[in-house]
Amino acid sequence: MIKIEGLAILLKTFSLTDLHIEIEEGEFHFLLGPTGSGKTLILESIIGLHKPKKGEIWIGEKEVQGLPPEQREISYVPQDLALFPHLSVKENILYGIRAKNHYLKNYEEYVESLIQVMRVGHLLERYPANLSGGEKKRVALLRALAPKPKLLLLDEPLSGLDPSIKYEIQQLLKTLHTSFHPTVLCVSHDFEEAYLLGDKMTVFIDGHVEQVGKRDEVFLKPRTKNVAQFLGLRNLYRGKILAREDHVERSQLDINSLQFSIPNSARQSNMEIGGEIDLYIRPEEIMILREGKPIKESLKRNIFIGNIMDIANRGRHHSVFFQDRGKKISFEISIPNYAFRNLDLSIDKQVTVALRDESFWVME
Amino acid sequence: MGFRYTMIGAAFGIFIFYFGLLASLLFSTSLTGFWESLAHPSTLFSIRLSLIAATLATFLAVLIGLPAAYALSRFQFRGKQIVDVFLEIPIIMSPIALGASFLVFFNTPLGEATQSKGIFFVFEFPGIILAQFATIAGLTTRLMKASLDEISPRYEAVARSLGSSSWQAFYRITLPLSFRGLLASVILSWAKAAGEFGATVTLAGAMPGKTETMPIAIFTALASANIEKAIVLILILILLGLVALYAVRLTGKLYRYD
Repeated sequence: MIKIEGLAILLKTFSLTDLHIEIEEGEFHFLLGPTGSGKTLILESIIGLHKPKKGEIWIGEKEVQGLPPEQREISYVPQDLALFPHLSVKENILYGIRAKNHYLKNYEEYVESLIQVMRVGHLLERYPANLSGGEKKRVALLRALAPKPKLLLLDEPLSGLDPSIKYEIQQLLKTLHTSFHPTVLCVSHDFEEAYLLGDKMTVFIDGHVEQVGKRDEVFLKPRTKNVAQFLGLRNLYRGKILAREDHVERSQLDINSLQFSIPNSARQSNMEIGGEIDLYIRPEEIMILREGKPIKESLKRNIFIGNIMDIANRGRHHSVFFQDRGKKISFEISIPNYAFRNLDLSIDKQVTVALRDESFWVME
Repeated sequence: MGFRYTMIGAAFGIFIFYFGLLASLLFSTSLTGFWESLAHPSTLFSIRLSLIAATLATFLAVLIGLPAAYALSRFQFRGKQIVDVFLEIPIIMSPIALGASFLVFFNTPLGEATQSKGIFFVFEFPGIILAQFATIAGLTTRLMKASLDEISPRYEAVARSLGSSSWQAFYRITLPLSFRGLLASVILSWAKAAGEFGATVTLAGAMPGKTETMPIAIFTALASANIEKAIVLILILILLGLVALYAVRLTGKLYRYD
């Protein structure tokens, strides 16, 4: 278990007051924060290159804050990789084992299997200047893993890559993780990267932790509007509680003078009548109803008629932009491609949409 | 006249200016006189003295300049700005003023103690090295800092995380990566030391067979109207300088990793 407790960094330009992260052994943990949130300083503090104002870093049973980087057993893959250009791929890979004066023999089998999984066997005698972007990334990961670190630190492993290589590295990181179970802390400002790679994530904004949780939990149930905005979630609204219907476990909500009925399961804490709340309506849970088909009872509570303003092809799904007849509210609706084809949608077409109970999420 | 031709014309103007200067040297010397002056023991002595003194002075400058350059390149510390400004002292200070300052220093109690208990500098061989060292140490540091600045500190960060101590990371990573630039700095420093006149003559004097380096020998040769010898020494100095420049160019072809 890796624990970072109460890490505080205070500089003229930047301050971080109280960062806590817990990473189980073998977990792929994401530390996700917007650009300028002190990512580099946090990384450097964990590695031991920057002395934080306060805080403890526990690697298993050992507190390493007083130790220099070379005694912490934390490997680091920076964004620019920093492969040693004057050393061959092989020398790069063995650098850590040699630097620690470990017996190469004890690592032979392990390094051999790493080389196989990473598919760099044919590159061993080359120099970094003669490698492609994807190959460099693979070598850098291998170099970091070779000395069996207690923690692997990654700095935005997928950023700045071509889409094709991005997919390759994403798959590779997953394979690596399932085959060797390294404990990983990945620092990034890219929520997409976090979505593609993370098991668990810590979201920190403006110098403090906003949410910790499993990846899907964070994306489905952002704790605050800050988190939702940072994750790039659409359909965020400000609403007011009109009435509570506790006998049916629901509440009445007003958004832009339109009424919504939301289930109590969509909220994290009690809501007072008249209180204002932030609401997230999940784009995948909004249905466009087929004309002439009977509407299920459970869907009848939140039905709106309006027009399609725009349609965007997102590759695996389509985004449909809907505005109600009174022009009081717009939704972005996410529809799988097969459903999109069946619905025969076009811009300006009038449609009826229904919001499933699962579409609502009230933030703190 | 076109813009392009004006600019290129200026470039060639500079070339012709210097080339004419060098050509006049060759024009004013005869081959037999040249060999005679070159083979003269005092000429050979000056050449040898200059080579040895410049090499030792450069060695000392690197010894302190490399760690200093590293500190200025990599660390933030109190007084960094002041240190940085003082590197320019030998550049803004006239060499003769630098030499004179040493003479003043060796007249203070501390300076006298240094000389009586240790090495004699004034009008002695160590004085040459000290004067040359004083002239180049700032420059050596500045040049080496520039070549260290070119190497991303991230390499060392990774090396540290992989288990290297800061000494090892410097020795195994930063030093080989910046070797090209460091070598060029050393060569330029050496050439500057070999050509140093003002500080050397002030501190170590112009004693034939003792402290007469090549530039000083040129000066005394001119003073005694021995034009032939002066030209020989000038040509050798130029040759050394050109070799140094060429060597710097060669380092550019060495170990290109990117």
